[in-house]
Amino acid sequence: MRDMITIVVRLTISCLLAASVMGLCFIFTSNAKKHNEHVKEQQVMYELLGYSGAAERPASLAMHELYRYVVSSGGRQSIGYLLPGAEGEEAGFLFVNIDLDGRLIASTPVALSAGDALEAEPRNRAIQAAAGPGASVTFADQTIVVTDGGERIAYLMGGKFQGFKTFIHLMLAVDPDFALIGFEVLEHEEDPGLGAEIVEGYFKNQFKGKPFTAIKTIDVVKAPIPDDYYKALTGKVGEEEILRFREQYKEKDIYALTGATISAKAVAMGVKGIVTKFAYRIDVLDRVLQEQQLATSF
Amino acid sequence: MTNDKSPLQLISRGILSENPIFKLALSMCPAVGISTTVMNGILLGTAVLFVQVFSSVTISVFKNYIHPRIRIPTYTLTIATWVTVIDLVLAAYMPEAYAKMGIFVKLIVAFAIITMRLEMFACKESVNDSFWDGLGMGLGFMVGMVAIGLVRELLGSGAILGYDVLGFKPLLFFILPSAGFFVVGLMMAFFNWIEIYYKRRRGVQ
Repeated sequence: MRDMITIVVRLTISCLLAASVMGLCFIFTSNAKKHNEHVKEQQVMYELLGYSGAAERPASLAMHELYRYVVSSGGRQSIGYLLPGAEGEEAGFLFVNIDLDGRLIASTPVALSAGDALEAEPRNRAIQAAAGPGASVTFADQTIVVTDGGERIAYLMGGKFQGFKTFIHLMLAVDPDFALIGFEVLEHEEDPGLGAEIVEGYFKNQFKGKPFTAIKTIDVVKAPIPDDYYKALTGKVGEEEILRFREQYKEKDIYALTGATISAKAVAMGVKGIVTKFAYRIDVLDRVLQEQQLATSF
Repeated sequence: MTNDKSPLQLISRGILSENPIFKLALSMCPAVGISTTVMNGILLGTAVLFVQVFSSVTISVFKNYIHPRIRIPTYTLTIATWVTVIDLVLAAYMPEAYAKMGIFVKLIVAFAIITMRLEMFACKESVNDSFWDGLGMGLGFMVGMVAIGLVRELLGSGAILGYDVLGFKPLLFFILPSAGFFVVGLMMAFFNWIEIYYKRRRGVQ
């Protein structure tokens, strides 16, 4: 009996010790970690748009964040978007609530500073206030509309889906016609050497330039990549050659990774899902905005 | 029980005569599963080295306060704490390295070699010796992983450290997990053969 008590006491003490070490470490590192993730996301965004490294970004380039919320009130669900208002930063934001059939329920101006909109806490509170009492709002996802001198040039969106083991977290860029500009893997836990090859250029580059029609029916084929195509995917040939191959394979399926068909398929299906859903949503949103003559910054 | 070996002997013991992978045959899962490239071996080896050294020292410091009945849970707790700390610190201050090592670091909690070294050595010996033993075992593990990775990467993808050496891929089989068993087994045999050969020659003289 006395043994048992000492064991319990000692185990508890060691657990508490371990917990406090880990907790302290977390407190000291969490800010730096968050900052790193944010920096990485920014970097990935610009890289996807083709401004990697030292390449100069034009001043006319602007990014507009759309936040999508699921609003449920009185047993009915609808989709709410927080959109940046028309005239620069002072215009505040606009909360547009659209029902599942694509009809506008309400649009409310939201007074929110640009800095607060980036933080989840104050943003959620503002949305809650805008949605009215009795409604519950849940953050769904966020999309970035990239404009260059007022013209939309791309959409950036994140997406998470099931991989072979855990979730694969992607950042995608599509052009205004929903053709894929490219994607970057932000986070994954696939097997090193097998499924982890999804981060390699020769796999990712297969998706580049796929038109929306091809993405809608995309699948993977279990076949080795032809040698000349592989060279083009790894960038071992000239720029025109790469574009020629991209054109030639643009309607074709993705070549699966050797030994990791499931991971490759998960990515292909994930991209398909994210892009098709997004294309539908942005169509609905654009139609509503046009019908109601709502002015936004993009 | 005291230890009469010098730091250098402790380190060389970890790398050669008691190499975790080739001699003790511990932590075979990572040796088989992850050693597909040299880089993976170096990254995982570095991570294991740190966790092993930190855990060995911690257990050695607290060895008189650990109840003998709950030593294994305590070891696991210690290892898990250090793995978490290293994971957090890497993510915060070395994002570049973390992007490559992140997947491996979390795996280390379950490595048999670390628990075994704590049980066999650190809980009996002085802090100083435990440090050198941890360093030796960590280095031994790294050497083993890099050696296996070298063979598998060269034969599987025709490259070393990602640089194309052969210009073609001789046998894709070597990258697949099953080949890990063959490579580890053959290398074990090779190292044993060297040892036997060496001992015999010394015996003759």
